[in-house]
Amino acid sequence: MRFDLHIHSCLSPCAALEMSPSQIVGRAVAAGMGGIALTDHQSAKNCPAIAECARRAGIGCLFGMELQSAEEVHTLALFDTVEQALALTDWVCEAMPKRVNDPETFGDQPVVTWDDDIVELEWRILAMGCRRTIPEAAEKIHSLGGLYIAAHIDRPNYSVVSGLGTVPEGCFDAVEFSRTADEQAWTAKAQGYAVTRSSDAHNIGDVARVWSEAPIGAFSVESLKKAFADRSVRISPALTSF
Amino acid sequence: MTVREIAEKTRGEIIVDNPNAAINSAYASDLLSDVMGHCGDESVLVTIQNHLNTIAVCTLAGIEAIVVCHRRPVPNDMAEAAKRENVAIITTEMSQFEASKALAELPASSK
Repeated sequence: MRFDLHIHSCLSPCAALEMSPSQIVGRAVAAGMGGIALTDHQSAKNCPAIAECARRAGIGCLFGMELQSAEEVHTLALFDTVEQALALTDWVCEAMPKRVNDPETFGDQPVVTWDDDIVELEWRILAMGCRRTIPEAAEKIHSLGGLYIAAHIDRPNYSVVSGLGTVPEGCFDAVEFSRTADEQAWTAKAQGYAVTRSSDAHNIGDVARVWSEAPIGAFSVESLKKAFADRSVRISPALTSF
Repeated sequence: MTVREIAEKTRGEIIVDNPNAAINSAYASDLLSDVMGHCGDESVLVTIQNHLNTIAVCTLAGIEAIVVCHRRPVPNDMAEAAKRENVAIITTEMSQFEASKALAELPASSK
């Protein structure tokens, strides 16, 4: 099964407004993905919508967020259920700055329904870090039953390597490579963690442009955890440009 | 202090100019949440954060110029946003400490 574990919807201020859950699911199905994960910045509020889209399309879906930690590092939290992802959203938002988003500066943040109606506009600036550290987030996410993945560790900004110098031990279930990361070079810096590659799509054309693959039947936290432990995940080739 | 003077003192290159900037204080940080929390307006920010979000934070905080250290490259989307938002960008070979020393006649920015 092929999967893309890092996709932003229109709720992320930096993502295109065309990134509605229905469009994302349509694109992922067309690209042959068996599973996807919705990972907006600091919020899982578009997960109810994508759960319905995925159910209708018959594609596997995990729910979570791209959590920007107190260290200003991007990490992925992935869960089996929308409820778990929303519980993490509450925990993160309690530790977010109370500053109101200016859409002109950062971008719009619409929460939408499965059929593309706007429910509300998120008022917090989701482009900011929260006061939860990586070890605190790891403990919380694991206690909620989720997976914790260090995002795009090869990127020059907002990655564990750029921010902390290395990948901390004992926090993550796997690491993620970006679209362009050389597999051999970055596996050597992955501190022994299982490796994934996902699109980090902010535009519809980027959904499933890169992917990971594992011999799993059901698309779930448990099956991915086992695939990480078995080192049975294979990743798509690197792209030459982002 | 003008953008040109900052560029001269840090032996830097002006990537995006802001000739009308009147910079009265300086702040050095690589953590944008810290910048948001503590940097006041009419200021220059010494940092290595060479990406688009830095400009958004400057806009919110009223920062009028950024000195990007270690000659980190300025991506196009960052430069475009800086032009739009009237934030000057200067790149320098200097480290954050060296650039801060070079600008030491400016008072520390706070809010």
